[in-house]
Amino acid sequence: MDATSLGIKLDGVSAIFRHARRGDVTAVRDLQLDIHPGEFLTLLGASGCGKTTVLRMIGGFQKPSAGRVFFGSRDVTKQAANRRDVGFVFQNYALFPHLSVFENVAYGLRVKRLPADEIRLRVEDGLQQVGLAGLSDRMISELSGGQQQRVALARAIVIQPRVLLFDEPLSNLDAQLRVQMRSEIRRLQKELKITAVYVTHDQEEAMAISDRIAIMNAGRIDQIGTAEQLYRRPVSPFVATFLGEANLVRCRIVDVAMDLLTLGIADARWSISTHARGLVGAEVEAVVRPEAIRLSEPQRGFPGQVVSSSYLGSKIEYLVRLGDQMLKVVQSDPTFGARFAEGAEVEVTLPHVGVQLLGEAVHQSP
Amino acid sequence: MSIAFHERRRFALPDRVARQGGLLLIWLLLLLFVVYPLAMLLQRAVLDDGGLSLGTLIGALKSSSNLRALRNSLELAGLVGVAGTTIGFVFAFTVERLRLGRTLRWLIDRSTFLPLISPPFTTSIAIVFSFGPRGLITHDLLGLQNVKVYGLASTFAAETLTYFPIAYLALRPMLASISNSLEEASFSLGASRWRVFHTVTLPLAMPGLANAFLLLFGCSLADFATPLILAGSDFPVLPTEAYLQITGMFDLRSGAILSLLLLVPAGLVFLAQEWLVAGRSYTTVTGKASAISSRNSASGIAAGCLLLFCAVTCGVIVYFYALLFYASIVQAFGANHTLTLDHYRIIFSEGLPAIKDTMIIALVGMPLGGLYGIAVGYLVGRGKFVGRKAMELVSMLNYALPGTIVGIAYLVAFNDKPLALTGTATILIACYVFRYSPTGIRTTIALLQQIDRSMEEASASLGAGGYYTFRHVMLPLIMPAFFAGLGVVFIRSMTAISATIFLVSINWTLITVKILENMTEVALGPAAAFSVFVIAVVLVVTELLNRALSYLTAPSLRISRIGT
Repeated sequence: MDATSLGIKLDGVSAIFRHARRGDVTAVRDLQLDIHPGEFLTLLGASGCGKTTVLRMIGGFQKPSAGRVFFGSRDVTKQAANRRDVGFVFQNYALFPHLSVFENVAYGLRVKRLPADEIRLRVEDGLQQVGLAGLSDRMISELSGGQQQRVALARAIVIQPRVLLFDEPLSNLDAQLRVQMRSEIRRLQKELKITAVYVTHDQEEAMAISDRIAIMNAGRIDQIGTAEQLYRRPVSPFVATFLGEANLVRCRIVDVAMDLLTLGIADARWSISTHARGLVGAEVEAVVRPEAIRLSEPQRGFPGQVVSSSYLGSKIEYLVRLGDQMLKVVQSDPTFGARFAEGAEVEVTLPHVGVQLLGEAVHQSP
Repeated sequence: MSIAFHERRRFALPDRVARQGGLLLIWLLLLLFVVYPLAMLLQRAVLDDGGLSLGTLIGALKSSSNLRALRNSLELAGLVGVAGTTIGFVFAFTVERLRLGRTLRWLIDRSTFLPLISPPFTTSIAIVFSFGPRGLITHDLLGLQNVKVYGLASTFAAETLTYFPIAYLALRPMLASISNSLEEASFSLGASRWRVFHTVTLPLAMPGLANAFLLLFGCSLADFATPLILAGSDFPVLPTEAYLQITGMFDLRSGAILSLLLLVPAGLVFLAQEWLVAGRSYTTVTGKASAISSRNSASGIAAGCLLLFCAVTCGVIVYFYALLFYASIVQAFGANHTLTLDHYRIIFSEGLPAIKDTMIIALVGMPLGGLYGIAVGYLVGRGKFVGRKAMELVSMLNYALPGTIVGIAYLVAFNDKPLALTGTATILIACYVFRYSPTGIRTTIALLQQIDRSMEEASASLGAGGYYTFRHVMLPLIMPAFFAGLGVVFIRSMTAISATIFLVSINWTLITVKILENMTEVALGPAAAFSVFVIAVVLVVTELLNRALSYLTAPSLRISRIGT
C-alpha cells in the first residue's frame, strides 16, 4: 500500500457560489495546498470558513470555479466523484437505510463487480477492522450512532481508496465516544498508510489526530503546520486565539538587543528572548498563553488584580487586570501553590521565552 | 482495478443517453396529453371557421343561463368549502387533541375513508333513498308526500359529506405539527382552554384551514356526478351544463366555452394554493413536532360535544353505506323489500363488459401511472435541466383542472385524425394516468426532499455512476411513492367519471358510466350493486398494495427522515 500513497495538491483553487438574489459568495479563494503522501491533514476552522467546500472539491462533489486539483501528478479537476477512488465519510454517515450493514459495506465492491467470495472476505475484514464483526446482518436503524459511524468508516475503507476524506465525522457523537473514535480513525489511517484529509471545527480533535493542521478563515488558509508549530508560533491573532486560548498583550518595543527584546506595558518593562525583530517604538501584540503566566504575592513586578476566579478541578482560571488590559491566567493543579481570591492584589509574571510577537512592524526570523 | 475502471466507463454512456431520452420522452408525453388537448380546447372555443372570433365567447359570457350556472357553481363551491373545512377541522381537532381510545380512532378513520374511495354517486344515491319522494326517512318515517329532494340543499349536503374527509386528512398533520409546548406555554401564562384555542391553535392552523378550503372549493367546483343526480333543473352548475350541451345538444363548441368559464375560478384556486404553500412559513417556525401533542385542550363538556358531532357525522356516513348495501340486495328499494341477488346477477351479466373494461383500464393504467409518477417526480425533484419548473407545472395541469375541462379537451383533441383516439382504451388510460399520477409525482418529490444529497454522494464516492445510484439507492427509497401512485391511479380509474364520461364508447365503457345510466333509468338496484362492487374491489386492492408496500420496504424506511 505504501507505494500507492498519494499526495494531493490544490493549485489556486476557488469556489464561488452564485446566488440569484444574494449575489456571489466566495467560499474558497485562491487556495494553495500541498498534502503529502500518507499524511493525515486536518482542515480546521469555524463554520462557514470554507473547509467543507475544500474537502468536497477534493472528493469531486464540488467543481472548483478556478484552479486545479491534482492526485499525485494526475490532474483530476474534471474527473467525476465516482472515478476518483476516494473514500468519503460523511457528517451524517449517509448510510443506505434500505440495506443491511453487510450490503452497505459491500456497496462499493458490488459496483466494481468483484466476485461474491472476495466481496464477503473484504466486507468481513473491513467490519473486523472497525470492531463490528458479527453485526453484518443488522439493519442500519438497529445500530447506535457510534456503530453507524463505524459502518460508514468500513464502507469507505473496503474499496481500498487512495485517499480518505472525513467531513466532521464525529460531530454527532457524544464526547466520550468522540475521543475513542478519533484514535481509532488515526490507528486505521496509520495501518493503511493512506492519505487522509479531515475536516473539523474541534481544535482538540484536530490536534490529537493530525500530522499537520491547516487553519482556515474566510476561505483562506491562515497557517499550516504541526499542532505544536501552530500553538507555539501562530502567525496571526486568528490562529493564536483559534487554536487554544491566548492573551494578545498590547505592548511597545522599547529596546532590541542580540537575542533579547524589551517590551513596555504602560511604564513597566518586560524582556523576552526571541529571534523576532522589530523597530523600536513599534506597537505589537505579544501572544501569551494563559498557562505560561505566573501569579504570586505582590512584590516588585507587574501589579495586577484578580477580577474573577473559577475552580475547574484540574486547574483554576483567573481573569486578571493588568493596567488597562485583561489577562486570562490558568494555574494547573490547584491543590498545590497559592490561591488568590477575587479582588486580591497579585504580582503577574510574564514568560521570558516562547512568546510570539505579532504586528506589522514585526519581522519573524526563522 | 483497471478492469473495473473500464467496466464503469462502458456504463457511463448509456447513463447519459437514458437520462436525455427519458427527459425527451416525458416532454413528448406531456405535450401530447396535457398541452395539446388544452390548446385544442382553447382553439375550439376561440376560433370560428378558421378565423379568430371572440363573438361566441362574448355571447356565452353575456348569456344569462351561463352566468347563472357560473354563479351557482361558485355559490355551491363556497358553501361546501366552508362547511367541509369546518367539519374536517372538528374531526382533526377531536382526533389530535382529545384522548380517544384506539377503537374510536379506528372507527373515525375507517368511516372517513369510505367517501374517499367510493364512486361519485354513492352519497347521492343514498340521499335519494333517504330523502326522495319514496325515501326511507321522508316517506316511510315521516309520511311526507311529494318531497322535493333535488336542488342546492341536497347537492350541498352530499358534496360536503363526500369531500370533508379531504379537509380532515389535510388538517390532521397540520394540527399534529403545532408543538405541544406552544399550547402549554399559553396555559402556563394563565390562559383558559378557550383562549388557548382561539389565540394560539386557531391562528397557527389558519394557513392549513385556508388550504383545506381551497381544496374543497376546487373539488366542488369540478364535481360533476353529484349535481348531475341531485341538482335538478332548478340549480344548473357549469360541469353538468357543459355535459348536457355536448351529449344532449351535440354542441361541442358551447360545451368547450362553458368548460372555459370553469377554467377561470379553477385556475385562481390553483394559483392561490401555490401561493399559500410557498408563503406558509409558520408550521416550520413552531419548531420540532413533538411526539405527544397536548391532550388537555378541551373541557369535558366541549369534548363531549365534539365527540357527539363526530359520532353523528360518522353515523350518517355509515347509515348511507348500509343503505346502499341494503338497496343492492332487495327487490326494489322503497316498494318491495324482499331479499334478492338479482341486481348482482344483472351487473355480472349485462354489466360484465363494463366491469371487464374498467378492470382492464385500471390494471393497465395503474403500473403506467406509478412509473410515470416516479419518473417525473425524480426528474423534477433531482434533475438539473432547463425547464424543470415548467415540467412540474405542466405535469400538474390535468390534475388541477376540473375533470370536465380535461374530458372535453381530450374529446376535442383526439376526435379527428391524426390522433383519432376517441372510443379506444388508450385514451381512457391516458386520461386517468395524466390526471391522477400527480399524487405519485408529489409524493416522490416530497420523499426526495427528505433524502439527503449525501446519499447520492456516498454512492458516487464508492464508484457508482448515475444509473447505478438511481437503481440501487434512490429507487428503493422512493418505493413508497410508487405505491402511493399505483393506489391513487387504481382507485380513480375505478371511481372517477367527470373527465372520462366524454371519452367512453360502445367498445369501451366504465362501471361509473353504467351507474349513471342505471340512475337515469331509475334502475337503482343495479346502481347500488355496482357501487358496492367498486367499493369492495378498491378496499381489497388498496389493502393488497399496503401489504406489498410493507413487505417490500424495510422497516427502517418508515422512519420519517431518510438519510439523517
